Amino acid sequence: MKPNVLIVDDDQAFLRLIQKDLEGFSESFNVLTAESGAAALDLLRNTYVSFVVSDLRMPGMDGFELLAAVLKTYPDVPVYMMTSYDKPKTKDVVIQSGASGYLKKPFTAIELFGEITKTLNKKAEGGSLHNVTLETFLQLIEMEQQTSTLRIVDKKRQRGGVLFFRDGELMNARIGDQQGKDAAYKILSWSNVSLSIEHHCVFQEKMIDGDLQAILLDAMRAKDELAEENFPEDEEAGADEILLDAPVPDKPAPPKPAPPKPTSPSKPAAPRPSAKVRPAKPEVDLSTLSPVDAIRMRIKNSIGERNGVLDIYPDPGWDGLITQSERIGNAFNCGKLNALYVNRDNSDQFVIVPGEASIAISLTQDAPWDRILSTLG
Amino acid sequence: MKDIFKDVMGIDGVHGLMVLSDDGSVMISKFSSDFKEEEETLSGINWEPFVTEMRAVKDTELVFDSARFYIKKSEIGFLIVIIGDNAPISMVRLNCEILLPMLSKIQPASKRFGKLLRKKIF
Repeated sequence: MKPNVLIVDDDQAFLRLIQKDLEGFSESFNVLTAESGAAALDLLRNTYVSFVVSDLRMPGMDGFELLAAVLKTYPDVPVYMMTSYDKPKTKDVVIQSGASGYLKKPFTAIELFGEITKTLNKKAEGGSLHNVTLETFLQLIEMEQQTSTLRIVDKKRQRGGVLFFRDGELMNARIGDQQGKDAAYKILSWSNVSLSIEHHCVFQEKMIDGDLQAILLDAMRAKDELAEENFPEDEEAGADEILLDAPVPDKPAPPKPAPPKPTSPSKPAAPRPSAKVRPAKPEVDLSTLSPVDAIRMRIKNSIGERNGVLDIYPDPGWDGLITQSERIGNAFNCGKLNALYVNRDNSDQFVIVPGEASIAISLTQDAPWDRILSTLG
Repeated sequence: MKDIFKDVMGIDGVHGLMVLSDDGSVMISKFSSDFKEEEETLSGINWEPFVTEMRAVKDTELVFDSARFYIKKSEIGFLIVIIGDNAPISMVRLNCEILLPMLSKIQPASKRFGKLLRKKIF
Protein backbone atom coordinates (compact mmCIF):
# COMPACT_ATOMS: atom_id res chain seq x y z
CA MET A 1 0.00 0.00 0.00
CA LYS A 2 1.70 3.16 -1.21
CA PRO A 3 1.41 6.50 0.59
CA ASN A 4 -1.17 8.91 -0.84
CA VAL A 5 -0.09 12.49 -1.46
CA LEU A 6 -2.95 14.97 -1.80
CA ILE A 7 -2.48 18.16 -3.82
CA VAL A 8 -5.13 20.87 -3.42
CA ASP A 9 -5.48 23.78 -5.80
CA ASP A 10 -8.39 25.50 -7.53
CA ASP A 11 -6.23 25.82 -10.67
CA GLN A 12 -7.16 22.71 -12.67
CA ALA A 13 -4.40 23.27 -15.22
CA PHE A 14 -1.79 23.30 -12.43
CA LEU A 15 -3.22 20.10 -10.94
CA ARG A 16 -3.09 18.30 -14.30
CA LEU A 17 0.47 19.50 -14.87
CA ILE A 18 1.85 18.53 -11.45
CA GLN A 19 0.05 15.18 -11.56
CA LYS A 20 1.68 14.45 -14.94
CA ASP A 21 5.09 15.61 -13.67
CA LEU A 22 4.82 13.36 -10.63
CA GLU A 23 3.95 10.29 -12.71
CA GLY A 24 7.67 9.54 -12.79
CA PHE A 25 7.57 8.94 -9.04
CA SER A 26 4.55 6.64 -9.07
CA GLU A 27 6.68 3.83 -7.62
CA SER A 28 6.96 5.85 -4.41
CA PHE A 29 3.48 7.32 -3.85
CA ASN A 30 0.05 7.88 -5.35
CA VAL A 31 -1.00 11.41 -6.23
CA LEU A 32 -4.55 12.49 -5.38
CA THR A 33 -5.91 15.90 -6.30
CA ALA A 34 -8.71 18.13 -5.04
CA GLU A 35 -9.92 21.42 -6.49
CA SER A 36 -11.15 22.90 -3.21
CA GLY A 37 -10.62 22.70 0.53
CA ALA A 38 -14.01 21.01 0.96
CA ALA A 39 -13.14 18.33 -1.63
CA ALA A 40 -9.80 17.79 0.14
CA LEU A 41 -11.56 17.20 3.48
CA ASP A 42 -13.90 14.69 1.81
CA LEU A 43 -10.88 12.80 0.51
CA LEU A 44 -9.17 12.89 3.91
CA ARG A 45 -12.28 11.43 5.53
CA ASN A 46 -12.38 8.45 3.22
CA THR A 47 -8.77 7.82 2.24
CA TYR A 48 -5.58 7.44 4.24
CA VAL A 49 -3.54 10.47 3.17
CA SER A 50 0.11 10.78 4.19
CA PHE A 51 0.95 14.26 2.95
CA VAL A 52 -1.06 17.32 1.89
CA VAL A 53 0.12 20.19 -0.30
CA SER A 54 -2.37 23.03 -0.57
CA ASP A 55 -2.50 26.32 -2.38
CA LEU A 56 -2.88 29.30 -0.03
CA ARG A 57 -5.42 31.34 -1.94
CA MET A 58 -8.50 29.48 -3.06
CA PRO A 59 -12.12 30.58 -3.32
CA GLY A 60 -14.38 29.33 -0.54
CA MET A 61 -12.22 27.51 1.98
CA ASP A 62 -8.71 28.95 1.62
CA GLY A 63 -5.44 27.21 2.45
CA PHE A 64 -5.37 28.53 6.03
CA GLU A 65 -8.84 27.19 6.76
CA LEU A 66 -7.96 23.82 5.27
CA LEU A 67 -4.76 23.80 7.34
CA ALA A 68 -6.73 24.54 10.53
CA ALA A 69 -9.21 21.75 9.72
CA VAL A 70 -6.44 19.22 9.05
CA LEU A 71 -4.56 20.21 12.24
CA LYS A 72 -7.74 19.66 14.24
CA THR A 73 -8.92 16.35 12.79
CA TYR A 74 -5.80 14.80 11.23
CA PRO A 75 -3.00 16.28 13.37
CA ASP A 76 -0.47 13.67 12.26
CA VAL A 77 -0.81 14.55 8.57
CA PRO A 78 1.80 17.11 7.49
CA VAL A 79 0.52 20.02 5.39
CA TYR A 80 2.70 22.05 3.06
CA MET A 81 1.43 25.34 1.73
CA MET A 82 2.27 26.56 -1.76
CA THR A 83 1.68 29.98 -3.20
CA SER A 84 2.74 32.32 -5.93
CA TYR A 85 1.78 35.08 -3.52
CA ASP A 86 5.23 35.09 -1.98
CA LYS A 87 5.84 38.19 0.12
CA PRO A 88 8.49 38.68 2.82
CA LYS A 89 6.25 37.65 5.71
CA THR A 90 4.22 34.96 3.97
CA LYS A 91 6.44 32.05 4.92
CA ASP A 92 6.62 33.14 8.59
CA VAL A 93 2.84 33.45 8.89
CA VAL A 94 2.27 30.12 7.12
CA ILE A 95 4.70 28.26 9.39
CA GLN A 96 3.33 29.98 12.51
CA SER A 97 -0.12 28.77 11.48
CA GLY A 98 1.07 25.17 11.82
CA ALA A 99 2.13 24.23 8.29
CA SER A 100 5.01 21.74 8.04
CA GLY A 101 6.56 23.52 5.10
CA TYR A 102 6.24 26.13 2.43
CA LEU A 103 6.75 26.03 -1.33
CA LYS A 104 6.96 29.07 -3.53
CA LYS A 105 5.32 28.68 -6.92
CA PRO A 106 6.52 27.89 -9.48
CA PHE A 107 8.41 24.81 -8.31
CA THR A 108 9.51 21.69 -10.12
CA ALA A 109 8.24 18.17 -9.57
CA ILE A 110 11.75 17.27 -8.34
CA GLU A 111 11.54 19.94 -5.61
CA LEU A 112 8.13 18.70 -4.51
CA PHE A 113 9.35 15.11 -4.61
CA GLY A 114 12.28 16.16 -2.38
CA GLU A 115 9.95 17.67 0.22
CA ILE A 116 7.63 14.65 0.15
CA THR A 117 10.60 12.28 0.50
CA LYS A 118 12.03 14.25 3.41
CA THR A 119 8.70 14.27 5.24
CA LEU A 120 7.79 10.63 4.61
CA ASN A 121 11.26 9.52 5.68
CA LYS A 122 10.80 11.41 8.94
CA LYS A 123 7.44 9.72 9.50
CA ALA A 124 9.18 6.34 9.38
CA GLU A 125 12.39 7.40 11.15
CA GLY A 126 11.98 4.60 13.70
CA GLY A 127 11.81 1.98 10.98
CA SER A 128 9.10 -0.33 9.70
CA LEU A 129 7.87 -3.74 10.73
CA HIS A 130 5.99 -6.21 8.60
CA ASN A 131 3.60 -8.97 9.63
CA VAL A 132 3.86 -8.09 13.30
CA THR A 133 1.61 -9.09 16.17
CA LEU A 134 0.32 -5.70 17.18
CA GLU A 135 -0.56 -6.60 20.79
CA THR A 136 2.97 -7.79 21.50
CA PHE A 137 4.56 -4.77 19.93
CA LEU A 138 2.33 -2.31 21.80
CA GLN A 139 3.13 -3.95 25.12
CA LEU A 140 6.76 -3.38 24.31
CA ILE A 141 6.09 0.31 23.61
CA GLU A 142 4.29 0.58 26.95
CA MET A 143 6.99 -1.31 28.83
CA GLU A 144 9.77 0.88 27.41
CA GLN A 145 7.67 4.03 27.92
CA GLN A 146 8.30 5.13 24.36
CA THR A 147 6.91 8.24 22.70
CA SER A 148 5.92 7.46 19.15
CA THR A 149 3.36 7.68 16.39
CA LEU A 150 2.60 4.29 14.85
CA ARG A 151 1.08 4.23 11.38
CA ILE A 152 -0.56 0.89 10.90
CA VAL A 153 -1.73 -0.82 7.73
CA ASP A 154 -4.35 -3.52 7.80
CA LYS A 155 -3.04 -5.58 4.91
CA LYS A 156 -6.21 -7.62 4.61
CA ARG A 157 -8.42 -4.67 3.86
CA GLN A 158 -5.85 -2.12 2.68
CA ARG A 159 -6.75 0.53 5.22
CA GLY A 160 -4.64 2.61 7.56
CA GLY A 161 -4.85 3.95 11.09
CA VAL A 162 -2.65 5.77 13.57
CA LEU A 163 -1.84 5.15 17.24
CA PHE A 164 -0.25 7.87 19.36
CA PHE A 165 1.91 7.01 22.37
CA ARG A 166 3.55 9.35 24.88
CA ASP A 167 5.84 7.89 27.51
CA GLY A 168 4.30 4.47 26.86
CA GLU A 169 0.70 5.66 27.32
CA LEU A 170 -1.84 5.37 24.54
CA MET A 171 -2.85 9.01 24.07
CA ASN A 172 -5.13 8.75 21.05
CA ALA A 173 -5.94 6.80 17.90
CA ARG A 174 -7.25 7.83 14.50
CA ILE A 175 -8.90 6.19 11.51
CA GLY A 176 -10.11 8.71 8.92
CA ASP A 177 -11.79 11.45 10.93
CA GLN A 178 -12.63 9.12 13.84
CA GLN A 179 -10.50 9.54 16.97
CA GLY A 180 -10.46 8.14 20.49
CA LYS A 181 -11.22 4.77 22.02
CA ASP A 182 -13.47 3.51 19.21
CA ALA A 183 -10.73 4.17 16.65
CA ALA A 184 -8.23 2.38 18.93
CA TYR A 185 -10.50 -0.69 19.23
CA LYS A 186 -10.81 -0.90 15.46
CA ILE A 187 -7.08 -0.66 14.85
CA LEU A 188 -6.23 -3.12 17.60
CA SER A 189 -8.67 -5.64 16.17
CA TRP A 190 -6.74 -5.84 12.89
CA SER A 191 -4.71 -8.96 12.17
CA ASN A 192 -1.69 -9.16 9.93
CA VAL A 193 -0.54 -5.56 10.03
CA SER A 194 2.55 -3.66 8.99
CA LEU A 195 3.59 -0.53 10.78
CA SER A 196 6.01 2.38 10.58
CA ILE A 197 7.33 4.27 13.58
CA GLU A 198 7.91 7.99 14.10
CA HIS A 199 9.57 9.08 17.36
CA HIS A 200 7.13 11.91 17.98
CA CYS A 201 3.60 12.35 19.28
CA VAL A 202 1.46 15.39 18.50
CA PHE A 203 -0.87 14.78 21.44
CA GLN A 204 0.09 16.27 24.79
CA GLU A 205 -3.21 15.37 26.41
CA LYS A 206 -4.47 11.82 26.91
CA MET A 207 -7.65 11.45 24.83
CA ILE A 208 -8.22 7.79 25.69
CA ASP A 209 -8.92 6.96 29.31
CA GLY A 210 -7.92 3.53 30.48
CA ASP A 211 -5.04 1.17 30.68
CA LEU A 212 -3.53 -0.26 27.48
CA GLN A 213 -3.98 -3.80 28.78
CA ALA A 214 -7.72 -3.32 29.26
CA ILE A 215 -8.09 -1.72 25.84
CA LEU A 216 -6.14 -4.59 24.27
CA LEU A 217 -8.41 -7.13 25.92
CA ASP A 218 -11.53 -5.41 24.59
CA ALA A 219 -9.94 -5.26 21.16
CA MET A 220 -9.15 -8.99 21.33
CA ARG A 221 -12.81 -9.66 21.94
CA ALA A 222 -13.73 -7.56 18.91
CA LYS A 223 -11.12 -9.41 16.88
CA ASP A 224 -12.58 -12.78 17.89
CA GLU A 225 -16.01 -11.61 16.80
CA LEU A 226 -14.60 -10.56 13.45
CA ALA A 227 -12.84 -13.91 13.05
CA GLU A 228 -16.22 -15.60 13.32
CA GLU A 229 -17.20 -13.82 10.14
CA ASN A 230 -14.56 -16.01 8.40
CA PHE A 231 -12.83 -13.55 6.14
CA PRO A 232 -10.65 -15.43 3.63
CA GLU A 233 -7.01 -15.00 4.55
CA ASP A 234 -5.03 -12.97 2.04
CA GLU A 235 -1.66 -14.09 0.87
CA GLU A 236 0.96 -12.44 3.00
CA ALA A 237 2.55 -9.48 1.33
CA GLY A 238 6.26 -9.58 0.58
CA ALA A 239 8.69 -7.91 2.92
CA ASP A 240 9.64 -5.40 0.23
CA GLU A 241 6.12 -3.98 0.06
CA ILE A 242 5.97 -0.21 0.36
CA LEU A 243 4.23 0.86 3.52
CA LEU A 244 2.14 3.90 4.16
CA ASP A 245 4.63 6.65 4.94
CA ALA A 246 7.57 4.31 4.39
CA PRO A 247 10.78 5.93 3.22
CA VAL A 248 10.78 6.34 -0.54
CA PRO A 249 13.15 3.97 -2.31
CA ASP A 250 15.93 6.27 -3.50
CA LYS A 251 17.14 6.85 0.06
CA PRO A 252 18.68 4.31 2.38
CA ALA A 253 16.11 2.66 4.61
CA PRO A 254 16.33 3.61 8.28
CA PRO A 255 17.59 0.94 10.63
CA LYS A 256 14.91 -1.48 11.63
CA PRO A 257 14.25 -1.73 15.33
CA ALA A 258 14.90 -4.99 17.04
CA PRO A 259 11.85 -7.24 16.82
CA PRO A 260 9.84 -7.65 19.99
CA LYS A 261 11.20 -10.27 22.33
CA PRO A 262 9.43 -13.61 21.98
CA THR A 263 9.25 -13.89 25.76
CA SER A 264 6.20 -11.65 25.78
CA PRO A 265 2.91 -13.49 25.60
CA SER A 266 1.15 -13.33 22.25
CA LYS A 267 -2.02 -12.33 24.02
CA PRO A 268 -2.12 -9.64 26.65
CA ALA A 269 -2.17 -10.53 30.28
CA ALA A 270 -5.24 -9.87 32.34
CA PRO A 271 -5.74 -6.23 33.20
CA ARG A 272 -3.68 -5.15 36.14
CA PRO A 273 -4.25 -2.24 38.45
CA SER A 274 -2.32 0.72 37.21
CA ALA A 275 -1.63 4.11 38.69
CA LYS A 276 -1.81 5.49 35.15
CA VAL A 277 -5.55 4.87 34.82
CA ARG A 278 -7.42 8.10 35.17
CA PRO A 279 -10.90 8.10 36.63
CA ALA A 280 -13.67 9.51 34.45
CA LYS A 281 -13.82 13.25 34.96
CA PRO A 282 -17.04 14.47 36.58
CA GLU A 283 -18.84 17.27 34.76
CA VAL A 284 -18.17 20.58 36.46
CA ASP A 285 -20.85 23.26 36.54
CA LEU A 286 -18.92 26.37 35.49
CA SER A 287 -21.52 28.70 37.06
CA THR A 288 -20.52 27.45 40.52
CA LEU A 289 -16.89 28.48 40.01
CA SER A 290 -15.30 31.88 40.49
CA PRO A 291 -14.81 33.81 37.20
CA VAL A 292 -11.06 33.06 37.29
CA ASP A 293 -11.59 29.32 37.87
CA ALA A 294 -14.35 29.16 35.26
CA ILE A 295 -12.00 30.69 32.66
CA ARG A 296 -9.21 28.33 33.71
CA MET A 297 -11.58 25.35 33.32
CA ARG A 298 -12.86 26.47 29.89
CA ILE A 299 -9.31 26.80 28.58
CA LYS A 300 -8.30 23.45 30.04
CA ASN A 301 -11.35 21.69 28.60
CA SER A 302 -10.80 23.18 25.19
CA ILE A 303 -7.01 23.07 24.83
CA GLY A 304 -5.69 20.80 27.55
CA GLU A 305 -3.16 21.20 30.34
CA ARG A 306 -0.35 22.51 28.15
CA ASN A 307 -2.11 25.65 27.05
CA GLY A 308 0.58 28.29 27.56
CA VAL A 309 -1.29 30.08 30.36
CA LEU A 310 1.09 31.63 32.90
CA ASP A 311 -1.52 33.15 35.20
CA ILE A 312 -5.16 34.22 35.36
CA TYR A 313 -6.09 37.10 37.64
CA PRO A 314 -8.43 40.07 38.00
CA ASP A 315 -6.64 43.16 36.66
CA PRO A 316 -8.41 46.54 36.61
CA GLY A 317 -5.40 47.92 34.75
CA TRP A 318 -7.12 46.91 31.49
CA ASP A 319 -10.37 48.75 32.22
CA GLY A 320 -9.35 51.82 30.20
CA LEU A 321 -8.66 49.82 27.03
CA ILE A 322 -11.86 47.81 27.53
CA THR A 323 -13.97 50.97 27.97
CA GLN A 324 -12.51 52.53 24.83
CA SER A 325 -12.87 49.30 22.83
CA GLU A 326 -16.52 48.98 23.87
CA ARG A 327 -17.14 52.60 22.83
CA ILE A 328 -15.67 51.95 19.38
CA GLY A 329 -17.60 48.67 19.07
CA ASN A 330 -20.86 50.44 19.95
CA ALA A 331 -20.24 53.07 17.28
CA PHE A 332 -20.09 50.27 14.71
CA ASN A 333 -23.00 48.25 16.23
CA CYS A 334 -20.75 45.23 16.84
CA GLY A 335 -22.56 43.97 19.94
CA LYS A 336 -20.91 42.92 23.18
CA LEU A 337 -17.14 42.85 23.60
CA ASN A 338 -16.36 39.25 24.58
CA ALA A 339 -12.58 39.11 24.70
CA LEU A 340 -9.40 40.91 23.61
CA TYR A 341 -5.99 39.68 22.63
CA VAL A 342 -3.19 42.13 23.43
CA ASN A 343 0.44 41.84 22.38
CA ARG A 344 2.44 44.55 24.09
CA ASP A 345 5.55 46.32 22.81
CA ASN A 346 7.66 44.28 25.20
CA SER A 347 6.15 41.12 23.63
CA ASP A 348 4.14 40.19 26.73
CA GLN A 349 0.86 38.78 25.53
CA PHE A 350 -2.51 38.57 27.20
CA VAL A 351 -6.08 37.60 26.56
CA ILE A 352 -8.43 39.87 28.48
CA VAL A 353 -11.99 38.98 29.41
CA PRO A 354 -14.22 41.98 30.24
CA GLY A 355 -16.64 41.65 33.13
CA GLU A 356 -17.48 43.19 36.47
CA ALA A 357 -13.76 42.83 37.11
CA SER A 358 -11.60 42.53 34.02
CA ILE A 359 -9.67 39.28 34.02
CA ALA A 360 -6.22 39.05 32.49
CA ILE A 361 -4.74 35.81 31.19
CA SER A 362 -0.99 36.13 30.79
CA LEU A 363 0.50 33.82 28.21
CA THR A 364 3.83 32.31 27.25
CA GLN A 365 5.42 33.36 23.96
CA ASP A 366 4.35 30.17 22.20
CA ALA A 367 0.87 29.93 23.70
CA PRO A 368 -1.97 29.12 21.27
CA TRP A 369 -3.50 32.52 21.93
CA ASP A 370 -5.82 32.43 18.94
CA ARG A 371 -7.37 29.19 20.20
CA ILE A 372 -7.76 30.69 23.66
CA LEU A 373 -9.35 33.78 22.11
CA SER A 374 -11.76 31.59 20.10
CA THR A 375 -12.65 29.65 23.25
CA LEU A 376 -13.43 32.77 25.27
CA GLY A 377 -14.68 35.02 22.43
CA MET B 1 -2.62 54.90 -2.86
CA LYS B 2 -5.72 52.94 -1.92
CA ASP B 3 -4.61 50.09 -4.20
CA ILE B 4 -2.29 48.84 -1.48
CA PHE B 5 -5.42 47.82 0.44
CA LYS B 6 -6.80 45.77 -2.45
CA ASP B 7 -5.60 42.42 -1.12
CA VAL B 8 -6.97 42.93 2.40
CA MET B 9 -10.26 44.29 1.08
CA GLY B 10 -10.51 41.36 -1.33
CA ILE B 11 -10.75 38.82 1.50
CA ASP B 12 -14.25 37.50 2.10
CA GLY B 13 -15.75 38.91 5.30
CA VAL B 14 -13.59 42.06 5.51
CA HIS B 15 -15.97 44.97 6.11
CA GLY B 16 -13.45 47.77 5.98
CA LEU B 17 -10.18 49.18 7.18
CA MET B 18 -8.70 52.46 8.32
CA VAL B 19 -5.34 53.91 9.20
CA LEU B 20 -5.18 56.16 12.25
CA SER B 21 -2.32 58.48 13.08
CA ASP B 22 -0.72 58.42 16.53
CA ASP B 23 -3.00 61.28 17.61
CA GLY B 24 -6.14 59.48 16.45
CA SER B 25 -6.90 61.24 13.17
CA VAL B 26 -8.21 59.06 10.37
CA MET B 27 -5.54 59.15 7.65
CA ILE B 28 -7.29 56.85 5.25
CA SER B 29 -10.30 54.57 5.25
CA LYS B 30 -11.81 52.08 2.86
CA PHE B 31 -15.00 50.11 3.33
CA SER B 32 -16.75 47.56 1.16
CA SER B 33 -19.90 48.74 -0.58
CA ASP B 34 -22.13 46.96 1.97
CA PHE B 35 -20.60 48.90 4.85
CA LYS B 36 -20.62 52.49 3.59
CA GLU B 37 -22.87 53.45 6.50
CA GLU B 38 -20.16 52.36 8.94
CA GLU B 39 -17.62 54.44 7.03
CA GLU B 40 -19.82 57.48 7.51
CA THR B 41 -19.78 57.02 11.29
CA LEU B 42 -15.98 57.33 11.33
CA SER B 43 -15.98 61.12 11.33
CA GLY B 44 -18.19 61.18 14.44
CA ILE B 45 -15.81 59.03 16.51
CA ASN B 46 -13.19 60.56 18.76
CA TRP B 47 -10.33 58.11 18.35
CA GLU B 48 -7.86 59.93 20.58
CA PRO B 49 -8.74 58.20 23.91
CA PHE B 50 -8.60 54.85 22.12
CA VAL B 51 -5.14 55.38 20.62
CA THR B 52 -3.96 56.70 23.99
CA GLU B 53 -4.90 53.35 25.55
CA MET B 54 -3.16 51.59 22.67
CA ARG B 55 0.19 53.31 23.23
CA ALA B 56 2.03 50.31 24.72
CA VAL B 57 0.31 47.80 22.45
CA LYS B 58 1.91 46.24 19.36
CA ASP B 59 -1.17 44.48 18.09
CA THR B 60 -4.57 43.54 19.38
CA GLU B 61 -7.75 41.75 18.37
CA LEU B 62 -11.11 42.74 19.78
CA VAL B 63 -13.77 40.03 19.57
CA PHE B 64 -17.34 41.34 19.61
CA ASP B 65 -20.60 39.43 19.18
CA SER B 66 -20.87 40.22 15.50
CA ALA B 67 -17.47 41.49 14.39
CA ARG B 68 -13.78 41.45 15.12
CA PHE B 69 -11.30 44.34 15.02
CA TYR B 70 -7.76 43.43 14.02
CA ILE B 71 -5.39 46.25 14.99
CA LYS B 72 -1.67 46.56 14.29
CA LYS B 73 0.69 49.33 15.24
CA SER B 74 2.74 50.68 12.34
CA GLU B 75 5.40 53.34 11.91
CA ILE B 76 2.77 55.97 11.22
CA GLY B 77 0.01 54.94 13.62
CA PHE B 78 -2.50 52.09 13.65
CA LEU B 79 -3.98 49.87 10.98
CA ILE B 80 -7.50 48.75 11.93
CA VAL B 81 -9.34 46.08 9.97
CA ILE B 82 -12.99 45.31 10.75
CA ILE B 83 -14.06 41.81 9.84
CA GLY B 84 -17.14 39.63 10.16
CA ASP B 85 -17.41 36.41 12.15
CA ASN B 86 -16.81 34.19 9.17
CA ALA B 87 -13.72 35.94 7.77
CA PRO B 88 -10.54 33.85 7.48
CA ILE B 89 -8.56 35.61 10.21
CA SER B 90 -5.23 33.98 9.29
CA MET B 91 -5.51 35.37 5.77
CA VAL B 92 -6.27 38.81 7.21
CA ARG B 93 -3.21 38.61 9.50
CA LEU B 94 -0.99 37.52 6.61
CA ASN B 95 -2.13 40.33 4.34
CA CYS B 96 -1.78 42.92 7.11
CA GLU B 97 1.80 41.79 7.78
CA ILE B 98 2.49 42.31 4.09
CA LEU B 99 0.68 45.64 4.01
CA LEU B 100 2.34 47.14 7.08
CA PRO B 101 5.68 48.24 5.51
CA MET B 102 3.76 49.99 2.72
CA LEU B 103 1.85 52.17 5.17
CA SER B 104 4.88 54.37 5.73
CA LYS B 105 4.21 55.77 2.24
CA ILE B 106 1.02 57.34 3.51
CA GLN B 107 1.60 60.88 4.68
CA PRO B 108 -0.70 63.00 6.78
CA ALA B 109 -2.73 65.51 4.80
CA SER B 110 -0.81 68.43 6.34
CA LYS B 111 2.54 67.10 5.10
CA ARG B 112 1.19 66.49 1.60
CA PHE B 113 -0.10 70.04 1.53
CA GLY B 114 3.26 71.35 2.72
CA LYS B 115 5.06 69.52 -0.06
CA LEU B 116 2.72 71.02 -2.62
CA LEU B 117 3.36 74.50 -1.28
CA ARG B 118 7.12 74.00 -1.35
CA LYS B 119 6.90 72.91 -4.98
CA LYS B 120 4.95 76.04 -5.89
CA ILE B 121 7.29 78.36 -4.05
CA PHE B 122 10.61 76.96 -5.17
